[in-house]
Amino acid sequence: MSWIAVGGEKNKVGHVPISENLSDVQRSGVFAPPGHWRLGWYWAGRRREASILIDRRAFLANVGLGVALILTSLIYLCTGTVAIAPASTLRALFSEAEPTVAFVVNDLRLPRMLAAWLTGAAFAVAGCLMQTLARNRLATPGIIGIDNGATAFAVASVVGLGVSLAPPAMALTGAATATALTFGLAGGGGTRGYRFIVAGIGVGAVFGAATQLLMARVAIDVANAAYPWTVGTLNARPTGTMTVLAIGLGIGVVLSLRLSRALSTMRFSEAIAQGLGISLRRSRLQALSLAVSLTALAVAVAGPVGMVGLIGPEIARHLSSPRGVPVIGSALAGALVMTVSDGVGRLLLSPIELPVGIVTAIVGGPYLLWILLRQGGSGNV
Amino acid sequence: MPMLAATTPSLRHFPGMGGLLSLLVLTCLASLLVGAGPVSPRDAITVLVGGGSEEARFTVTALRLPRTLIGLVVGVSLGVSGALLQAITRNPLAEPGLLGVTAGSAFAVAVMLVLGASAATLRVPVAQLGALGGCLCVMNVVRLRGVGSDPVRLVLAGAALSSLLAALTSLILLMDQRAADEIRFWVVGSLSGRRLADLIPVIPSLLVAGLLTVTMARPLASLALGERVAKGLGHHPGLVRLSIILIVALLVGGATAIAGPVAFVGLVVPFAARAIAGPDIRRTLWFCLPLGPLMVLVADIVARIVVAPSELPLGVLTALCGAPVLVAVVRARRLPML
Repeated sequence: MSWIAVGGEKNKVGHVPISENLSDVQRSGVFAPPGHWRLGWYWAGRRREASILIDRRAFLANVGLGVALILTSLIYLCTGTVAIAPASTLRALFSEAEPTVAFVVNDLRLPRMLAAWLTGAAFAVAGCLMQTLARNRLATPGIIGIDNGATAFAVASVVGLGVSLAPPAMALTGAATATALTFGLAGGGGTRGYRFIVAGIGVGAVFGAATQLLMARVAIDVANAAYPWTVGTLNARPTGTMTVLAIGLGIGVVLSLRLSRALSTMRFSEAIAQGLGISLRRSRLQALSLAVSLTALAVAVAGPVGMVGLIGPEIARHLSSPRGVPVIGSALAGALVMTVSDGVGRLLLSPIELPVGIVTAIVGGPYLLWILLRQGGSGNV
Repeated sequence: MPMLAATTPSLRHFPGMGGLLSLLVLTCLASLLVGAGPVSPRDAITVLVGGGSEEARFTVTALRLPRTLIGLVVGVSLGVSGALLQAITRNPLAEPGLLGVTAGSAFAVAVMLVLGASAATLRVPVAQLGALGGCLCVMNVVRLRGVGSDPVRLVLAGAALSSLLAALTSLILLMDQRAADEIRFWVVGSLSGRRLADLIPVIPSLLVAGLLTVTMARPLASLALGERVAKGLGHHPGLVRLSIILIVALLVGGATAIAGPVAFVGLVVPFAARAIAGPDIRRTLWFCLPLGPLMVLVADIVARIVVAPSELPLGVLTALCGAPVLVAVVRARRLPML
């Protein structure tokens, strides 16, 4: 995000040009900072030009994550109760195949895989935004009770307590309520560290109890149908929620990318961010509402799989450079984590299917503990 | 006995104690009279004075009476263990449910059932062992620099441990249908459907824990002044801690073996007891005795009548009233260190 833009002749420049294209550098006098690629282009007879900077490490990390995601997804599509050879899976995806194979791949596994991608990406981007906002890697939506709020309200709409609003809308209401409560109770501001998180745990406990209360009120078969969804599963996607999530995720990622420059400044102290011209209130509000909406939409599809919001951004942050806020990386890593977890949950004890929420909790729990208990580890982003 | 005399509430606290005890008696009565079933309070009163129909008699004596007694025992155990755990971790947020002690004993019971043992008598010691494991985890975490001195981080670590153990427990239940059937109703934490026979195997360990508590109350109170002072007064801090851990494991394991995991009682009860009795752990413990059952029984009565004719899990009610207390403690401008 930091440009080193030096105009004019070459001899005024104090930096070593590292750009790949030296003649380009000589022409415009704009260099890529260390560790970046500068992609420039010009038009109108070289009188106008534009360029973008690409963080080399983040770019490579994203490419790697993308390749890993595609390979994992292929394995995901091939395996299951019926194993299908990769070649016929690919044929079913891109051309004709026997009807049974086509049915299993295209109608059963593909929608579920897409659900894993979308929910994982949404949870992870939301987690990344919240972590940056609160300057604490533990402040993910799952931990501060947003998931539970969304789940409580969405369960209310699923089990039909005389509420006919669609699950995504209800989940949004619930998530917003939980967030407002957490922030209100913690005394505002996302920068109060652990106090804010414990207020969130309390709020989450209340909404978790409310979910159980709802489940206790309805008939046993309705409750049984809603149960796996309250622990987080990709098996019971309420109709229509996927489309909403896909649209919401598209918009959300674009907005997050726009916001990421302001957010990466907000990782410094408030005074520095303000001095650099960031409107703290507005950026915070935007990031928070983005995180809340993304979480809510994902919860409406898959239930609370909050650990993905912790693990996804963490992987992205380890792989990419520490300079920016890894929005794309988080999305890819989240999708990857979700796909792997759901695949493991389907295969591990087959024919019993483990809800993906349990798999991520078992993997993410020790990791969370490790973050917390490391000597002197402050948990800061 | 001078030791006991030192731990009794002073005259100043007498009205409060009396009020709490009479409130407790009233709550016990209400617990006998109110229920989700068709037996009305009027029928229940006729049973209590010696009359009543066959059905009403059965409901009151075989269902509500054991339930009330179990509520008393569970309340005392959880309340006292919360106060003790808070005293040795010097942390007002330490609570068996939040720190994963309860989850540890639930997990141990689930493992036991999967390994094939199903004897109800075995459940209590196994649950207590699990609770001991949870306690040892907590104490080791408290030792860590940075985490132990930060009450809030300890709670976070506890929450992470609990959710991990809960996930493992549900994994086990998914894997083993027989175990799931056996403890499905136990694992949510409730007082309903428990029999008096479930209470019997817990009694001896509770007595042991009570005796230990009486002997450890004074060293524990001096430990509040700091390790050096306690040593100077002739106590062994390590020994005190070990026995408190043992007591907490016995109490929490016992309570969990009967009622299943119930969170937040150990947070709310000592919080209220300290508000009444002040900082001395000995007085706090005395006040936990009536306050614990009071909270559990009131929550249980509410759980019976809110969604009648069905019932709510007890844990839902305790979470609903415990979470605000958690937030209140954290919100306090300066986190009180014990």
